[in-house]
Amino acid sequence: MGTVEYIQHHLTNNTLALNAEAQEAIDKGQMTFWALNLDTIAFSLLLGALIVFVAARLGKQLESGTPGGFQNFVESVLDFVSTNVRDAFPGHNPLIAPLALTIFLWVWLMNFMDLIPVDLLPYLFQLITGDSHAYLKVVPTTDLNTPLAMAAVVFGLILYYNIKCKGLVGFIKMFLFHPFGKFFVPVNIVMTLIEEVSKPLSLALRLFGNMFAGELVFLLIALIGGTLAVGAAALFWAPLQAILDLGWLIFHLLVITLQAFIFMVLTIVYLGMAHEEH
Amino acid sequence: MKEESVPESAEMSSRKNKPALNFLLLSAGSMFTSMIIAGFLVGYVIDLLFDTMPIFLLSCGVLGFIGGMMKVHKLLEKMSLLDTGKAKPTESETSKHD
Repeated sequence: MGTVEYIQHHLTNNTLALNAEAQEAIDKGQMTFWALNLDTIAFSLLLGALIVFVAARLGKQLESGTPGGFQNFVESVLDFVSTNVRDAFPGHNPLIAPLALTIFLWVWLMNFMDLIPVDLLPYLFQLITGDSHAYLKVVPTTDLNTPLAMAAVVFGLILYYNIKCKGLVGFIKMFLFHPFGKFFVPVNIVMTLIEEVSKPLSLALRLFGNMFAGELVFLLIALIGGTLAVGAAALFWAPLQAILDLGWLIFHLLVITLQAFIFMVLTIVYLGMAHEEH
Repeated sequence: MKEESVPESAEMSSRKNKPALNFLLLSAGSMFTSMIIAGFLVGYVIDLLFDTMPIFLLSCGVLGFIGGMMKVHKLLEKMSLLDTGKAKPTESETSKHD
């Protein structure tokens, strides 16, 4: 397998076609609507279930006196999220803090899959299935569908709270008279529409872009060992790969946390803007 | 006494406004690009609806660019307010302008 094929193989989802046309498109390597990215769905559901499982387990063992190490850690995460909600969200809405916490933890865990060695899980999957060319993309956030779906949910909430807090008339007024005043109504409508559509787009594309680029760098570093470390050259290239991988891993740990944090905070800020009355 | 109390309250207020604002500033770049993309997207849909390709595609792209510039400018304006230690105008001040 050449370097290009190696990268392409790692960046291809394990897809299930829902009809014959979709299967035909997948076979040709094209994108199609009627298809499910099984690996993305499986890993994101598993990680979501992990959060629910750990939270439920911890909820049963809560100690009020001297909490243990893990409870302390979870409490500090909760405190961190609630501080951010207090800072960035005006007013009070009991939905925002749990939503922000869910987004932060889920996105962080999905991003964390990037730190698992790139060939490990696909190799194990190929061993289990017996198919040496089976596709498995382990990081759900490197599949544009995941960030876009999350951003679409946030967008739906933004629209809901805009209409709930400003009223339908206030919401329509926002489209008609913002930002250039009452003499440019057609331009205002288009401009506000663009502004609203850009919110979920920027949320999704930022997360996807950062994670995809990070995954690609991991793949390129992995290729050092795969292509150059032959015979005596391995004495030079293999340690270099290990050092580069460690360096990028430490840096990427910061990136995944920052991306989860930005996704959470921008959700709070956008929902806060939807709550502000004109 | 009055002179001392004004900068202190301004500093407190700017500190209070800072966190959320900084997070928005972090995303200024992607906000700008996504405004342009959203512009082309909205234009493309309008063109599909009215069969006028590429009039709205181009004009909405330009509008997205202008809107992106305006958004980033608005954000940076707030940042310069923080840098000089001046607080964001209070709600009563903004309502006067409106």
